Amino acid sequence: MDGAASPFRAPVVALDGPDKVTGAARYTFDVSLPGMLHAKVLRSPHAHARIRSIDPRYAETLPGVVAVVTGADAARLPDPYYGVAIRDQPVVAFDKVRYVGDMVAAVAAIDEETAYRALTLIAVHYEKLPAVTTIDEALAEGAPLLFDTPVAGEPIKLGDGLISLKEPRPNVLCEFGYAHGDADAALAESDRVFEDRFHFSRINHFHLEPHVNVARVTGEQIELWSCNQDPFVLRSDIARIFGRPANNIRIHASYVGGGFGGKSFCKMEPLVVLLAMKAGRPVRLCLSLDESLLTLTKHAGILMLKTGVTKDGRLTARKSEIQLDGGAYSDASALTVVKTGYRITGPYRWDAVATRAYAVRTNTVPAGSFRGFGGTQASFASESQIDMIARRLGIDPYDFRCKNLLAPGEPFRPGDSGIDSDLAKGLDEVVERIGYRQRVRSSAQGHKARGMGLSIGIKDGGGTGNHAQALVKLYSSGRAIVSAAAVEIGQGATTTLSRIAAETLNLPLDWVRYGAIDTDLTPLDNGTHASCGTVVTGIAVMRAAADARAQVLEFASERLGCTAAELALDNWTVRRGNYAHPLAPMIAEHYGGAGFEFIGRGMVKVPNDPKAPLTAASLFWMPSWVGAEVEVDRETGKVQVVQLVVGADSGRSVNAIACRGQVEGAALQAFGQSLFEELRYNGAEPANATPLAYRVPLAGDLPERYESFVLEHGGPGPFGAKGIGESGMLGVAAAIANAIEDAVGVRVTQIPFTPERVLAAIEAAR
Amino acid sequence: MTDAIEVAVTINGRGHRLTVPPRRVLADVLREDLQLLGCKIGCDQAVCGACTVLVDGMPVTACTTFAFELDGRAVTTIEGLAAGGILDPVQRAFLEHSAFQCGFCTPGMILSVKALLARHPEPDERLIRQWLNANICRCTGYQMIVEAVRAAARIGPG
Repeated sequence: MDGAASPFRAPVVALDGPDKVTGAARYTFDVSLPGMLHAKVLRSPHAHARIRSIDPRYAETLPGVVAVVTGADAARLPDPYYGVAIRDQPVVAFDKVRYVGDMVAAVAAIDEETAYRALTLIAVHYEKLPAVTTIDEALAEGAPLLFDTPVAGEPIKLGDGLISLKEPRPNVLCEFGYAHGDADAALAESDRVFEDRFHFSRINHFHLEPHVNVARVTGEQIELWSCNQDPFVLRSDIARIFGRPANNIRIHASYVGGGFGGKSFCKMEPLVVLLAMKAGRPVRLCLSLDESLLTLTKHAGILMLKTGVTKDGRLTARKSEIQLDGGAYSDASALTVVKTGYRITGPYRWDAVATRAYAVRTNTVPAGSFRGFGGTQASFASESQIDMIARRLGIDPYDFRCKNLLAPGEPFRPGDSGIDSDLAKGLDEVVERIGYRQRVRSSAQGHKARGMGLSIGIKDGGGTGNHAQALVKLYSSGRAIVSAAAVEIGQGATTTLSRIAAETLNLPLDWVRYGAIDTDLTPLDNGTHASCGTVVTGIAVMRAAADARAQVLEFASERLGCTAAELALDNWTVRRGNYAHPLAPMIAEHYGGAGFEFIGRGMVKVPNDPKAPLTAASLFWMPSWVGAEVEVDRETGKVQVVQLVVGADSGRSVNAIACRGQVEGAALQAFGQSLFEELRYNGAEPANATPLAYRVPLAGDLPERYESFVLEHGGPGPFGAKGIGESGMLGVAAAIANAIEDAVGVRVTQIPFTPERVLAAIEAAR
Repeated sequence: MTDAIEVAVTINGRGHRLTVPPRRVLADVLREDLQLLGCKIGCDQAVCGACTVLVDGMPVTACTTFAFELDGRAVTTIEGLAAGGILDPVQRAFLEHSAFQCGFCTPGMILSVKALLARHPEPDERLIRQWLNANICRCTGYQMIVEAVRAAARIGPG
């Protein structure tokens, strides 16, 4: 199946494409049920306050209002808190509010306008409390506490010798510790030791489809139509919160209008269920984009790195301390802290490392999953510092990286899996494409200077110890349904998973359809994140297809009076030697009636391994190679990206055009965050939490030349595939910072690299 | 204050007589009254462009266009583009170049491009990028959309 003969070389038209270009695609946003009410949420105007009283009576009497839900209703639930591992976020606030935008109450009414008007009639008496809005404020001696008592849940489980703590200190949600070798001793023996500090900003996912959920409660059954990326994770949370068995909870997923992590894990969904319960009618809650901006962010943070090196440029040891701003509630902070801390060593060889990472609670929007999941924070700090060290030592940053890169097969860390990519090859590809060797160094005259920067980001992919199940149903006609819980969020799961099944069954791709996702019928997975769809769900689908194929051949061998081993499946005929036997008539003759369905089952579980740092060896590695050329205006500090080249490794592209789209889409998100995108705070108030003021990249922001490439070094997924969805996010910010230093000789250590920050750095160096 | 206004409007080639409250916006008329769900609402404040439709061939954001303004005008939504089930050249170019991911911005984006090519049949790179500034896509990184626009321009406006 190599080379030109491989069906994967042929371009495909995405199976969800016709729906999407004609407007026929249906999202949760489009779901409407008979008798459905519309909900709105009352949000806290205060960053930190105690709710002294809340009176919903006036709101309840407004004509058209059917139900008002407050903390008093939530407090009666069997388990009213959610969060990943550490559960501290109430379905709706009951005693305190902890950030501007915290959910205080909700109204279900005949239309959104009535619900919105009812919100103004809810009387809330707050007692304001002092707030902490930065990491430093939250960690200061005697700082106000967000939580007075320990919250529910457990720290993340890690491998032998690693540290994972829940709420170790005031305002600290969780802490991760990892050490290998004696980092202090190795640093003491190093010829040079560099200490640098990096600041990472807070950004929003800005998915265009807002968070939207429709809930219906019928007797004991709770049904949710949800934009959530993780239907089965949500099912577990709803079951636990409402104290009902999971087989009474049914989640429907549709096309998702963008997520990037913003729609993973439980958020406002239980509140919608609670409203539907109280109203006795279906309820739709569609947040505005302004509200989505107050629902989740990527973790801001401060990353402090102490790195040792020999005088000939060999890296020796790195000690890191990472503070992530987790915001008011845990959401996915506990997991993000682990992944950021683990990934901080980058794609290099070390004698010793020691890492501490922790999430700090502040009175700001909760932080959680965002494409790259701590990997972008780690890559920015690590790849910036690697470049700084090279320049300080007078070594070309390219040569310095090559000298220290992990070789193919070398474990990322002891006990973890080997690097399944050729990191040097990808870097060479960037160097070649961007013209690094021919670059024109910045000239002393004129106020504009050009420079180039490189970087290599890396993260583990596929989730830790992940698993998934799948079904492939083959109809009498040879048409097939792939049934799995990977949600189509734009990544191309529909086409990729269908293609894996079609290839395994030797069927035309357009004979395969990706089935609707309904947790009553669809096999389980752990959610659509961590770039796991193609590999983890993909293996389950491939196995399900192979199981279905075996059943078909078994059936045909019985009909033909031979062994299954003599038969091959080809375009819904079975071949035996020179003879082709069409299957459809064979099935019709035997079964009659409505025909038959062969139902293949497949599953995969990445093995647990207590000796691996994260309790399972990483399934695959996602490198990101980036080269940036910038033009910096010394007088204004404005940075113009002239060229951006981004590469990733797909293992083997099952859906090449989708791989390209993933790399370029991720890289442009990172590009926006590097240069201008940021959710800012003015004290305890969000300063730009509205689509008008929150600026995301537009087409006009594209670098003059923007190029991507995808290497195929093989991987553990079907046909050698790996996940690629997050890769493009990782290396961009550092490559741009490195290019800025190359151009004007100053370092910016805080993103975004706004003209003000760049100019300040230039002026400080004068 | 008037409770309702009579509006005669052509939508996707068919005449409609609508009675609309003064504050009702086009997006709600399309989605709720006519079930034309291809009109997506993202920001609801004329920033993201997801709800873009054509009014007399001009792109407008349906979320901020009052329905009463449409009296005597012709509206084209994404559902009106593929005549008789045959895709418009812009739709075909988007499909062939995979110029979409989640697809939520796609209907508005395609209609915006339709308007671009009607005015500038051979737009250069700069103009394409500038024109697309009105439509946010958070998924693709825009480049594949730009390529689809170039391809559609070669095919010529449908």
